[in-house]
Amino acid sequence: MTNSILVYIELNNNQPLNVTKEIISKLHNCNNNMQINGVVITDLQSYELSKNILLNIGLDNLYVINDSIFDSFQTCIYSDALVDFLKQNNPDIFLMGATEKGRELAPRTASALDIGLTADCTDITITADYDLLATRPTYGGKMMATIVSKTKPNFATIRPGAFKISNFPSRETNVVFITPDLSGEKILTNILKCENKIQKDDWTCAEIIVSGGLGLKTKENFELIYKLSELLNAKPAASRGAVEMGWAPESIQVGQTGSSVSPKLYLAFGISGAMQHIVGITNSDRIIAINTDKSAPIMNSADVAIVADAVSVLKQMISTYK
Amino acid sequence: MTFKIVVCIKQVPDTSDIKWTEHNTIQRDGLDSIINPFDIGAIQLAKNVRFLLEKMNLDTEINVVTMGPSQASDILKNAVAMGCDKAFLLSDKKFSGADTLATAYTLSLFIKTQIPDFNLVICGQQAIDGDTAQTPSSLAQKLSIAQITNVIGLKEVNKVYSVWIKDSKTSTEEIKTGHPALIATTLKNTNILPNINGYIKACKTKITVLNSSDLNIDINKIGLVGSPTQVKKAYKFEILRNTTYIENESAENCSEYIIDEINKCRVNDD
Repeated sequence: MTNSILVYIELNNNQPLNVTKEIISKLHNCNNNMQINGVVITDLQSYELSKNILLNIGLDNLYVINDSIFDSFQTCIYSDALVDFLKQNNPDIFLMGATEKGRELAPRTASALDIGLTADCTDITITADYDLLATRPTYGGKMMATIVSKTKPNFATIRPGAFKISNFPSRETNVVFITPDLSGEKILTNILKCENKIQKDDWTCAEIIVSGGLGLKTKENFELIYKLSELLNAKPAASRGAVEMGWAPESIQVGQTGSSVSPKLYLAFGISGAMQHIVGITNSDRIIAINTDKSAPIMNSADVAIVADAVSVLKQMISTYK
Repeated sequence: MTFKIVVCIKQVPDTSDIKWTEHNTIQRDGLDSIINPFDIGAIQLAKNVRFLLEKMNLDTEINVVTMGPSQASDILKNAVAMGCDKAFLLSDKKFSGADTLATAYTLSLFIKTQIPDFNLVICGQQAIDGDTAQTPSSLAQKLSIAQITNVIGLKEVNKVYSVWIKDSKTSTEEIKTGHPALIATTLKNTNILPNINGYIKACKTKITVLNSSDLNIDINKIGLVGSPTQVKKAYKFEILRNTTYIENESAENCSEYIIDEINKCRVNDD
C-alpha cells in the first residue's frame, strides 16, 4: 500500500485558500515518497469553477465529495461526510488549515473517529516511518510543544501563513468523484441573518511588512508606521503591546492565533519580541529590527539589528521617500 | 420542567505571568490558578439564558462542571458565587494527563449519566493555556448534538430553540438551533462580580465529587492512557539568525541602510 498524506482543501469564492496551498507546498518540500492527495467538499458548480487551480497544485489524487447541500458550510454535515471518507481512504497523515471553519470541523471529525488532533501548528516534520511531528505554540504563545499522536491518521490543523507557497511540481492529478450518503442527515442549525464584513486584503503574505511596537511610545508615533507602509506600498502590522495600547487594531497583530507572516522583508520598529511575535515572523526571508535596547529578544532573532531610536529612523525614512 | 444548562469550565495557570527557569522550562511553582477567562464568558451566557427564560416563568438550573484535582473546587465555588446553581468536580487520578479527546469523552459521560435531560451545554471556546479550541466541538460530537462556535451573544431563547450571535472574521451571523445544542463562546473577561448572596450560596453549596466509576466510563479512553496525542518536547522558541549589529550610527545612516535593503529586496523580485 502506498503511504499517503491527505490535505483538506477549503474553498472560498471558488479558489483554494492560501493556507491550503501553503500546506501542499510544504509537503512537496518535505522530500519523501508519499502520495499527496487532496479532498474537497463542495457542490459541483463550485468544483467546476475551481478545478483549473485544483488540478495544478501538484496533487496525486483529488477526491471531490460533492452534493448541492455543500454550497454552504454546515459543520455537522461536512464532518459526517469527511468521517465516512476517512474511514475508507485511511491516509497516514491528514492536514487541514487552522481557519475558523477548519478549527470547528477538525475536532468534530477527529472525535467521531476517536483519533488525536493537534491544533494550529506552525511547523511539521514527517519521520521516515510516516509519522507526523506537529509543533505548535502553547501557554499563551510562550512555549512551543512538539506533539505526536498514536492514532492514524495523524491529524493536525496548520496555522495560515506558517509556510510559504512555492511553485508546484506538475503532476497528473487523478480526480475521484464521491457521492456521500446523506440519508441520515438533519440540518441542526439555521442561519437566520448574515452580515458579511468588509474583507481587507490579506496582509499576511505582503512582500514588505512595516511593524511597530511599544518602543514607539505614543499613538501619534505609531501613525508613522502607517505613513511609511503607504509610501513603500507595504503592509502595516503591530505587536500585541501596541494593539493593547489601542494604537492599532487587533486585525493587524502579528503572532496571535491565525496570523503568521512570511514577507520578503520584515521591518520591526520598537518591538521587543515576545515569543508569540517571534513565532509569527519566523518565515520572513529577512528581518531588520530597530530598537534602542540591544538586548531585546528580537535583536538576535533578526538578520540585522539596528541599535537606534525607532521613531527617529522612521521619521528620517519618511522624509527620504516623500 | 426545568431548563437545564451545563457550563464546562477549566482551571488554568495565569499565562500572563509565566516565568522561565534557567533550564528553559516553565516555572510552575507559585503560578496563580484562575478560571479560564473564556469560561467566565460561558457563565455569563448561561445567566443571560436564565434571565430570558425567567421572564417566561420557566425555571432554569445552571450546572457547572470541571475536571481536575481537589484544588479545582476553588473555581467551582467561584462559579457558584457568580450565579451557577450546582457544581460538579470530576476528580480521579485516572483522569489526569487527558488530551482534548479524552477530556471531551469524560465530560460527555458526565453529562449523559448525571444530567441526561440537559437542554444546553455552554463552554468557553478555548483555554488560555492550550488555546486548542478543540474540546467544545469534540464534546458536541460525543453528545451527537449541534454546535455553534464563535458565539458572542444570545438573541432569543425558549424551551425548544435559541438564537445566537456568531462573530467570525468574515461575517456576523444570527444562528438558530434546536435543543439540545452546544454553544462555544469567545467572550472573555466578562466581569461578573459576585454579590454577597453569591458568596453565601457558594458557602452553602456542596460540590458533588465524582470519580471514574461513578461515570460508568471506559478507563481505556480517559486520562493519559486514553489520550492519543502526547507532548514529545516543549521548548522556548528562538529564531537563530546570524545577526549583524549596527550601532552608534545617525538616524540618516540607519535610514539609508534600511532603504538599501528595501531596494535589494525589490530587485530580487524582478
